[in-house]
Amino acid sequence: MAVVEARRVTRLFPMAAGPVAAVRDVSLSVGDGEYVAVSGPSGCGKSTLLHLVGVVDQPTSGEILFDARDVAALTEAERSRIRLVRIGFVFQRFFLLPMLTAGENIELPQAEARVPVADRRARTRELLEYVGLADRADHLPSQLSGGEMQRVAIARALANRPALLVADEPTGELDEQTGEHIADLFDRVHADGTAILVVTHNPVLAARASRRLTMKSGSLVS
Amino acid sequence: MTSLWLAWRTTKRYRVRAVLAVIGVAVIGALLFDMLLLSRGLLASFADLLNSGGFDVRIVGSEGLPIVRLPIAGSTRLAAELRALPEVRDVVLIRIERATLWSNERTSRTVTLVGTTQTSGGPYTIVRGDDLPRDSSSDRCPLLVSRRLAASLGVEPGSSVQISVSPEGVRSALPPVACRVTGVVNFFFASTGEHSVATTMTALQEALSVGAVDADLMLVASQPAAGPAAAVRAIQRVRPDLRAYSNEDVVALFNQNGFAYFRQISFVLSSLTMVFAFLLVATLLTVSVNQRLGEIAALRALGISRGRIASILLWESALLVGGGALLALPLGGLLALGLDQLLRQMPGLPERLHFFVFQWRAVATHAALFGVTAAAAAAYPMWLTARLPIAATLRREVVG
Repeated sequence: MAVVEARRVTRLFPMAAGPVAAVRDVSLSVGDGEYVAVSGPSGCGKSTLLHLVGVVDQPTSGEILFDARDVAALTEAERSRIRLVRIGFVFQRFFLLPMLTAGENIELPQAEARVPVADRRARTRELLEYVGLADRADHLPSQLSGGEMQRVAIARALANRPALLVADEPTGELDEQTGEHIADLFDRVHADGTAILVVTHNPVLAARASRRLTMKSGSLVS
Repeated sequence: MTSLWLAWRTTKRYRVRAVLAVIGVAVIGALLFDMLLLSRGLLASFADLLNSGGFDVRIVGSEGLPIVRLPIAGSTRLAAELRALPEVRDVVLIRIERATLWSNERTSRTVTLVGTTQTSGGPYTIVRGDDLPRDSSSDRCPLLVSRRLAASLGVEPGSSVQISVSPEGVRSALPPVACRVTGVVNFFFASTGEHSVATTMTALQEALSVGAVDADLMLVASQPAAGPAAAVRAIQRVRPDLRAYSNEDVVALFNQNGFAYFRQISFVLSSLTMVFAFLLVATLLTVSVNQRLGEIAALRALGISRGRIASILLWESALLVGGGALLALPLGGLLALGLDQLLRQMPGLPERLHFFVFQWRAVATHAALFGVTAAAAAAYPMWLTARLPIAATLRREVVG
């Protein structure tokens, strides 16, 4: 069964010279536990597609179905709830809250989902061990390396046990070796049953996916 | 992980910004607090001054503010009639004249001479010596002198002085009367530069060389069970040609006329300080939010609700404004003390009158106004984050 399905979605952006289609008539489905990678040149619409599938943006035309529910018919609060408990987001620039420790960053989405304190502390410890940062729980993001920050961001994305992990260039700010460690981590997440949709330029990361797609000028070409 | 806790952590993280904001709000808040103290302080101090003598009704012979005094015809007889009223507990006659006082060293001072029938617990505190004697036969001209005058003339209780009254508008050649200083006092109503003395009504009559002297002010203490309003009504029934005012009436009259100027100044300056506080905090929060747009968009993408982000911003605003507002209280208090001392140097004001008087009501108003400021300052950044397009912001952050 598809966790998320995009049906003939188009996303136009208004520009001075007229609307520009970042995504044009794209259909895509990510099944339960599937690992999909989308590659393509810069500006081809990969991130826009990821934002549509990740329920942070709405298509100009077409439909996004999440858990078989039309996202367009949901209120902002319902979409926010889906993002909180069903989707985990990993960003190129990590976006960890600088004033919170690694552990607190992982706790935050759980607190928002009203997970009891004891449960979320246990889950945070579990996730820090999972990403190999058990000894970094009390470190601020500024005290972590880029690779460590991205691992904390992945742990944060997994905090509420999402059905789908979406990642936008997760190795984009990391060196090759660290990028490989992140790719290994994604493999583990996939092996544990979480569906992954990753947008990447990194061929090593894309090669790990069970399905590889290429975008060009707003359309999926393979 | 409450919104307050997250706001506190953000405030701690951006420490320099927070400290600057708190100091800014504290300085602005100190001015606001002073304006609030000033807006009611003079009135409260004036009411306190009126009530300090133990009399709650004043009778004068003229209309309007009870400052300009005309002699009250037949005041001695009237006092006896008023004392018989069930609403009245006590009546005191007061007559105020200008006079010249000579010490034994032939040094003289122009003084305000108060003749009174009250022989104990008058509107003064005794510093040295005794009050005016109850029995007028024991001393022909007993005299209470202000501390400033005593120091100026070098007189003490027991000293002999001479006093010559100069009735207003009358070319006077009245002979001086020999008096004895019974006490050195601080008069409640005396102004900073004024020399004051008080004596009995009998002594004043002698100094004026008249058989009977009419009071120009009568102080009435109402019976506690009746209250001042009932006493005023009863007095007006007896003498409708006179004006009787309860202390509340006097305060209300001054509030309408004499003190409106201070209230207006205070209102204008308070409004300005609120605008400054609002602009300061709103600007800091807006700049801070603009610097964190990527972070906020990421939080929204992670499913953190608009409401949660808005409440974090509201708490941030409350912490900055609240911290500043709290600091503003001691700062404003110190500033008020200095300003009060400065303003009380104005000539003609009773020494015991204060411009800035601490009142819990001012603290409550201060807190309420800053609560509104915190909410208003957070409103624009909250609106900014509520309508933040998540995808476009994330895209911009990556491209930028």
